[in-house]
Amino acid sequence: MAVDTAVPGADFFFKGESGRNTRGLLRLLILVTIAAAAIAARLFSVIRFESIIHEFDPWFNFRATKYLVNHGFYKFWDWFDDRTWHPLGRVTGGTLYPGLMVTSGVIYHLLRFLTLPVDIRNICVLLAPAFSGLTAWASYLLTSEMSDSPSAGLLAAVFMGITPGYISRSVAGSYDNEAIAIFLLVFTFFLWIKAVKQGSIMWGALCALFYGYMVSAWGGYVFITNLLPLHAFVLICMGRFSARLYVAFTTWYALGTLASMQIPFVGFLPIRNSDHMSALGVFGLMQLVGFAEYIRHQLPSKQFQTLLRAMVLVVFGLAFGGLVLLTVSGVVAPWSGRFYSLWDTGYAKIHIPIIASVSEHQPTAWPAFFFDLNMLIWLFPAGVYMCFRNLKDEQVFIVIYAVLASYFAGVMVRLMLTLTPIVCVAAAMALSQILDQFLVASQPSEPTESTKANGNANGNADIKDKLAAAIPESLRSTKAPLVGIYSYLSKSVITGAVTAYLLLFVLHCTWVTSNAYSSPSVVLASRLPDGSQHIIDDYREAYYWLRQNTKEDAKVMSWWDYGYQIGGMADRPTLVDNNTWNNTHIATVGKAMSSREEVSYPIMRQHEVDYVLVVFGGLLGYSGDDINKFLWMVRIAEGIWPDEVKERDFFTARGEYRVDDEATPTMRNSLMYKMSYYNYNSLFPAGQATDRVRGSKLPAQGPELSTLEEAFTSENWIIRIYKVKDLDNLGRSHQEAVGFEKGNKRKKAGKRRGPRTLRVD
Amino acid sequence: MRVLQLVAAALLPLTALAAKKSPEERFNEAHAKPQPIKLDDRSYDALTKAPRDYSVAVLLTAMDARFGCQLCHEFQPEWELLARSWTKGDKGAESRLAFGTLDFLDGKATFQSMQLQTAPVMLLFHPTQGPHARPDKPMERLDFNTGINKADTVHQWLSRQLPDRPHPPVVRPIQYVKIAMTTTAVLGVITFLTVAAPYILPIIQNRNLWAAISLIAVLLFTSGHMFNHIRKVPYVAGDGKGGVSYFAGGFQNQFGLETQIVAALYGVLAFATISLALKVPRMADPRSQSVAVLVWGGVLLVTYSFLLSVFRVKNGGYPFWLPPF
Amino acid sequence: MRSLISWAWLGLISSIATADSNLTHESRNILPSAFSPPKHFRNVNLVRNINLEKSYPRETINVVIENIDKAAQNEYYIPFEQGSLGQIGGLEVVDKKEAEKKGFKVDVVGIDPFSTTEYYKITLPTPIPPKDQLTLSITYFVLSALSPLPREILQTDKQYVLHKFSAYAPSAYTTVKQKTKLKLPTTDVPDAVTLPASLNAEKKEDPQKQGTSYTYGPYSDIEAGAVQEVSVRYEFTKPLTHSKLLERDIEVSHWGGNIATEERQWLTNRAATLKNHFNRVQYQQSSYYNPPTSALKEMRFPLVVGSVDAYFTDDIGNVSTSRFRTNKKEANLELKPRYPLFGGWNYSFKVGWNGDLQNFLRKVKGGNGETFVLKIPFFEGPKQAEGIEYERIVTRVILPEGATNVNFQTTLPLISNTTSLHRTFLDTLGRTALTLTAINIVDELRDRDLIVTYDYPSIAKFRKPLTITAGIFAVFVVAWVLGNLDVSIGRKQEKGKKA
Repeated sequence: MAVDTAVPGADFFFKGESGRNTRGLLRLLILVTIAAAAIAARLFSVIRFESIIHEFDPWFNFRATKYLVNHGFYKFWDWFDDRTWHPLGRVTGGTLYPGLMVTSGVIYHLLRFLTLPVDIRNICVLLAPAFSGLTAWASYLLTSEMSDSPSAGLLAAVFMGITPGYISRSVAGSYDNEAIAIFLLVFTFFLWIKAVKQGSIMWGALCALFYGYMVSAWGGYVFITNLLPLHAFVLICMGRFSARLYVAFTTWYALGTLASMQIPFVGFLPIRNSDHMSALGVFGLMQLVGFAEYIRHQLPSKQFQTLLRAMVLVVFGLAFGGLVLLTVSGVVAPWSGRFYSLWDTGYAKIHIPIIASVSEHQPTAWPAFFFDLNMLIWLFPAGVYMCFRNLKDEQVFIVIYAVLASYFAGVMVRLMLTLTPIVCVAAAMALSQILDQFLVASQPSEPTESTKANGNANGNADIKDKLAAAIPESLRSTKAPLVGIYSYLSKSVITGAVTAYLLLFVLHCTWVTSNAYSSPSVVLASRLPDGSQHIIDDYREAYYWLRQNTKEDAKVMSWWDYGYQIGGMADRPTLVDNNTWNNTHIATVGKAMSSREEVSYPIMRQHEVDYVLVVFGGLLGYSGDDINKFLWMVRIAEGIWPDEVKERDFFTARGEYRVDDEATPTMRNSLMYKMSYYNYNSLFPAGQATDRVRGSKLPAQGPELSTLEEAFTSENWIIRIYKVKDLDNLGRSHQEAVGFEKGNKRKKAGKRRGPRTLRVD
Repeated sequence: MRVLQLVAAALLPLTALAAKKSPEERFNEAHAKPQPIKLDDRSYDALTKAPRDYSVAVLLTAMDARFGCQLCHEFQPEWELLARSWTKGDKGAESRLAFGTLDFLDGKATFQSMQLQTAPVMLLFHPTQGPHARPDKPMERLDFNTGINKADTVHQWLSRQLPDRPHPPVVRPIQYVKIAMTTTAVLGVITFLTVAAPYILPIIQNRNLWAAISLIAVLLFTSGHMFNHIRKVPYVAGDGKGGVSYFAGGFQNQFGLETQIVAALYGVLAFATISLALKVPRMADPRSQSVAVLVWGGVLLVTYSFLLSVFRVKNGGYPFWLPPF
Repeated sequence: MRSLISWAWLGLISSIATADSNLTHESRNILPSAFSPPKHFRNVNLVRNINLEKSYPRETINVVIENIDKAAQNEYYIPFEQGSLGQIGGLEVVDKKEAEKKGFKVDVVGIDPFSTTEYYKITLPTPIPPKDQLTLSITYFVLSALSPLPREILQTDKQYVLHKFSAYAPSAYTTVKQKTKLKLPTTDVPDAVTLPASLNAEKKEDPQKQGTSYTYGPYSDIEAGAVQEVSVRYEFTKPLTHSKLLERDIEVSHWGGNIATEERQWLTNRAATLKNHFNRVQYQQSSYYNPPTSALKEMRFPLVVGSVDAYFTDDIGNVSTSRFRTNKKEANLELKPRYPLFGGWNYSFKVGWNGDLQNFLRKVKGGNGETFVLKIPFFEGPKQAEGIEYERIVTRVILPEGATNVNFQTTLPLISNTTSLHRTFLDTLGRTALTLTAINIVDELRDRDLIVTYDYPSIAKFRKPLTITAGIFAVFVVAWVLGNLDVSIGRKQEKGKKA
């Protein structure tokens, strides 16, 4: 941006009123271009495959959106879904964040009003990219509030637009809450900064409004709920309390809390849950301090002020103690597990295996940071440092956000998402600083007294200097007055280098996006020997088979990962799904999967299971299959039935987890093992059956199933569906029945006639 | 070793007698002694041999430093606490449960007879006669491989195994010393602060200090320190050829030293950026300035390219690089 | 409406598609239940061929009729059983002597629902004078007539189907001499009902086999409406593909010069169901040498030459197993369903493609504005060797916005047609849509054309650009107004002081 000031001659366009217009127009154009680039960068999967919903959770959001569009808002609001968590059902309307669905619903109806027949699926698929464009714009606004350099905002927008850390959750088709939440996050912060800077009720109210939207969109709103109070608190501690801060925070808290309480899922949490208590506390403190300030203005007596300060402290202490007391006594709920596991990092692993089992809740290794942020990750500290240069309210915010977010991102991979915006902002500030210095065509004269006066990055900032002077001691690196760059050589060198790095950054982002973040795990792609792309579509094959050829209410039992997909694609009731609200129910499924048939069958009968679905990668070498997830099922089941399911029994004496001849009897008798390998070795010559994932040779004698029968197996065996047999007509146990058909008739077989009963052994 | 022999000798008469004692007496004797009883092979056999109308919980452990069983050492105090509080809990011994500890050194035979490779392991012997007799399952076994190292979990397990009997809760003794220490410390700190406030305040309010702190924090976290903390990764590991490999192979794991190197790299890069952005333009002398520009630019390039090369090590297919590395 | 009810009662209409239409024409006329066709005619000689080579029987009746009445007559009736009439499709009559002679009008004569027989009424173009003869050739198809027996087979078994029919041709008149010929696809015929030779005119064994063709009869002097149940069971290891509903949209765009076609199919396979469940191992092993199977593995759409960018999707997205080969001479769309369709399995999908409008549209100078003639195939389902039967086809032709005076003609028997409005893509008043419904169609008729003529004034073209421009302008105005609102409380300099 700074270049345009350097072009000589064209004064008319770059000076004065018309100059401002020109720059405004240029900014607009650049922003539009950035938004376009941001959207385009996220369309890899659509171009490679098709416009399809990705992953797991998006399938639920998609289903919910369709429900909203078909049945209207109010039915959606109190939607009881009896097709999940059979037989419990789920109060879906009250246990989801409706923001996403409502957003796409509104867009859908708008387009309908314009008689544009856009399929709701396409809206859902393209929502995330569209909002990423908005996010770029929002980060432009935020950064422009932070730095007075014209280029910082645009740089931030570019970074935000294409950095993989954000693309990872917002490619076309990943229709998840984060799709819109990140935009709301950044925009809320922008409004907050605006409110704090101007102390205007309007901005505060807008901030609260978007905060409410954020609450309706994503559970991560807690981050805002704690960050803004922290910012205010730190400002107070720094003695920066002001009427502006008071107005901004009070407005935000009052309206924002009300807004957030409108969401059924949140309800009264803001006053009952520790996650939200910091906001309440700071709100109280704010009143106290405000009161104190007011009094101090009225009566200047010295002792009285000390007394006042003491009183404030005491009251605050008392309030805090009371809060603790309430928490202990249980009126205020302690911290929620997910949030708590951020602080006590060992907590989830022991107490909430379900949370620990999710891959995106693992800690982040450093390559992940570099992978997602590339060069921004080292521009980031520089930017944070520059915030200390002239430290005003908004810069304080940046610093706090930076430290907190990087901690969270370090603890949980998925929270890289909250780190990305601040990284982009800080990096942009750092880089713009360099560019503004090195892209000035005019050569500075040797320093004289006069030049000592104008201090800062850009020439026209006398007020800034006065402020900087007002602040007692500034950073050591900014003591000396600003001079500028003399030689064109150094200018060109640095400019060239920075340009090169930026190009590299773009290449990196494109590469990462196209290789790592653009596959809709529903459809797998493999390369044929001739290099052409071969699409492996087993998931949809099996799901569509279920959808077309089983009865409408056939209950499907599978591990919870696939619950949402079955609900969305196969449109059949499931026992458990990715909304893991009921640990016991999940553990029940885990027990059924990890026990002997005689134990599992009654469980399945009692839950009216018609079909069981397992994912098996052995033939294709698809590593994300159920045998690899099996240990989690065992652990979760063990958490509830420690005596019936023991993780120890699935490991060999040498503590190995094996599927071949040396697999433990418990392993080989478990339902999961049987279902995975049933009939598998008949695909190979005798004794040649091998599992390509575990890379091990399977026992020559394949497992026998007596209570289930194979109903469908997809082309590459990735999905195997089994039908649960009905009770035997002769009242025999299925084992006897199978044995009888095999010919080796047992003594008991057929003797016990009578009514068909479900025997629990 | 000497001590052990003494212990064995001391226990000898008991075990000898135990042979012809009735279960009742055996239990009373065992229960009379401070729980948990230190057992050896013979006393173990004596205590656990059928018939018995009482339950025995024996912890098979390996406390000797040679075995380096960390869990054993962690759990030992918990175990004693559990045993003590349980027996204190029911003086009348209604739960009819005796606690014993068998160290590997004293009980090699037992360990071998049960083919135990791992320690610690807890065995719970159910009565073979009497009201709580469980003829179907004379012995339960609790493995500690699932990260149990607290008395409470074991207590729960015991309570599950021993239904319809009193389950005295685990009572941890209040550590007055600790409390006193903390209070004094707090008071001391407060007084110190009040006294030294005028000297400390400027330091606290010093912006450079805060800048340093926050920068260090950011660098630590973004270089994956939390990963080390949570996953307890080794600091360095030797490669096969006796040397030291600084960088762990693979995208999903890392070494302690590795993260520090990376943090350092980030730091250097950030510092170079800062100096280019803030320091250099404030240099009054043109020559020194251009030198500085070239130097910092060079540092930036070299470090970044090294960082990229390191990343290529971690992530095989990464196509991008910068000269010189 | 009443007619609709009687149709529904016949179990023909899966959904009353025409109920919501604004103007509906039904080609049915109702007669009192006491009705029985006057015995004006006599079938002198009748030969009936039943072709069983496809998954639906195709019957051709060549009959010499003679007017035995005083007056000249032109109404010839064919009776069918209540149930079976619901399965009759594509009944057509031509003069055997001069096939090109047109004008044979065929109506279904609905009697009130409580009588057992119903009639097809054939109105001859020219009345036959007394004592005069005429040779008719009547062809029709019988849908879902073949039923697999046994109903459950193993995955690799052969499939046998049973066809029940009457040895006597359906006739409302006395038949002097008649015989029924069967054309079977195979010689593997486990059982065909044999009739006592006494019935036979030549006292020969009945039926008579030679190769794959069976002959019942000849029989002489059969009374009107006489029925002789016989059945034949033969090997037919092919899918019995049955389309419950085919929806077809054709969208004409004068702006783009494009004609977009989309077909939505609801298929089911009436073949024998699997005794045990589907076994992937067997399926993979058998796929190397692919033996005849009752599973529907793939479908081929021979499209109009010049069709482009075809797609094949279903409820959950694109189906990757499709090939579209197109060149100068042909445009073939080959589809594989996500899974092989075994007996009793369903599959619903959607295919679509674009074409150049010039190949379908002619402009003729009309009275007001311009008149266009559109010539398109009525339906283009898959073309299978074993044939496909369609229970119901709903074709909708969406003409450009502002098209008026719409007329159509086709040789397929329709049951209803509707003209309505269809709003899409920034339409203001909506496009004219013509909806035609036909039932009991088989894929042999897939080349029948549909010809639509309509007026389209040239000014109508410019409605859309104008609307869009106006809309954008309105948006700008609103934005400008909002931009100039002042929402601050109090005067500006106060704010300055506060900051």
